[in-house]
Amino acid sequence: MAQIEQSDGGKKKKGAQKKMHIHVDFTPMVDMNMLLITFFMLCTTMIKSQTLQITLPTNEKVEEQEMNKAKESEGITMIVDVERNADGTAKKDENGDPVNIVYYYFGKPTITAEENNLQAEYFIGDENNLQRGVRKILHDRNKEVLKRIDELKAKWAAKEFSSNADINDSIYQARAKAIRNDSTIERPVVVIKATPEARWESLISALDEMQINQISRYQIDNINQVDSAMIIDYRAKHPAK
Amino acid sequence: MGKVKIKRKSTLIDMTAMSDVTVLLLTFFMLTSTFLQKEPVTVLTPSSVSEIKVPTNNLASILVSPNGKVFISVLGEADPTVADGEWASEPIRKQILENALGEWNRLHPSNKVSLTPSEIETFTKLNMFGVPFTQLKAFLDMSQTEQDKFISNMENPAAGIPVNDNRDLEKPNEFQIWMRAIYSSGNDNLQRALKRGEGIAVKADKGTPYAVVHDVLDNLQTLKMNRFSIMTALKSSED
Repeated sequence: MAQIEQSDGGKKKKGAQKKMHIHVDFTPMVDMNMLLITFFMLCTTMIKSQTLQITLPTNEKVEEQEMNKAKESEGITMIVDVERNADGTAKKDENGDPVNIVYYYFGKPTITAEENNLQAEYFIGDENNLQRGVRKILHDRNKEVLKRIDELKAKWAAKEFSSNADINDSIYQARAKAIRNDSTIERPVVVIKATPEARWESLISALDEMQINQISRYQIDNINQVDSAMIIDYRAKHPAK
Repeated sequence: MGKVKIKRKSTLIDMTAMSDVTVLLLTFFMLTSTFLQKEPVTVLTPSSVSEIKVPTNNLASILVSPNGKVFISVLGEADPTVADGEWASEPIRKQILENALGEWNRLHPSNKVSLTPSEIETFTKLNMFGVPFTQLKAFLDMSQTEQDKFISNMENPAAGIPVNDNRDLEKPNEFQIWMRAIYSSGNDNLQRALKRGEGIAVKADKGTPYAVVHDVLDNLQTLKMNRFSIMTALKSSED
């Protein structure tokens, strides 16, 4: 393959050149290529990072009347924080990372000496297609929307909207959006808050749960004194083991 | 019986086929690679199920280090045919620097910063910047290795763009000056991306306390840049 043979016509003529074998050794070329491949493999980023788009409310003071008050029964307030030990230090998991915890309450905050409607949960995802932790709470509150979207997804998988994959996708997206924003269905309104110590990761996880549970109405808000008081009260009533 | 002749085999292996394969692989990697951008701190972004890709052009990304230092990187139009190259990264960065310096000098007449053309040239080549205005001149005069060292040193109080919880736009802080300068850089596509919420990407480490990131988010809110994206890594919904 890598050699060129020069064959002469058989009969030797006087002064004819000797039969030559030109053999090119490709080993150094392969060596060099391998080095370059290694370099490119190590320098490339195959996985591009993703983005999560969010819209924050304006900072300006909104007139009390203009505020679109959420129905009390639909409201869920989630406060992300790190779990504490009894001495107030952040609790660490086996990898040495702080444990993310979510405090939540439905409707209005209630806090008295005896009562506190704050509850705590973790981000633990699914297990065998069963929602757990925070996801279960949100899932249970948004059942109607999720049920309809599941039906829609079955149709999408069967390509019922169109045989063209792109058109099928876009019709599915549009219908799903319409379901998420359908005001005739009871849907939750989630307010996400974070304590100053909360890890950035936990806020993203909370936003992520909105996407997973197809919740269209949510916003990020600043934590207020009532919320902090409730967390302190909750910790006092449920001391860490 | 005759002797069994052992045939002498040549140990030469023909490398041509191997070479063909390696060249193919090399070509693949060369064409698909996007190089890692140099950043002052390495951050591990949190993961989410969102599948929207980070845009490669017309993007202002804000990097927040775990201890609250802020760096900005601006990318213009990647395609040189758009607006005759007027909106490529370098001219846009130059325009942003001019706007920001103009604003700074107007607000701080006693502490004016003026840069030479070569210093401006250096600035346009920077992928990511993050120094206070008062340090800018000295920073741009450094060699590249010194610059890297300067902003990668998290102990250095002069690394990172100063940011506070200021809400008075009459007296903007340095981060707000930069963000406004980016908005008014004259690149229509960048401005449109900013309005759609695709032009700003906030990148922070997953372990960063919320209080640190909150300052940046709050400043963006004050600037009425309410729509933006957050950089995340991909995860499956089962996690």
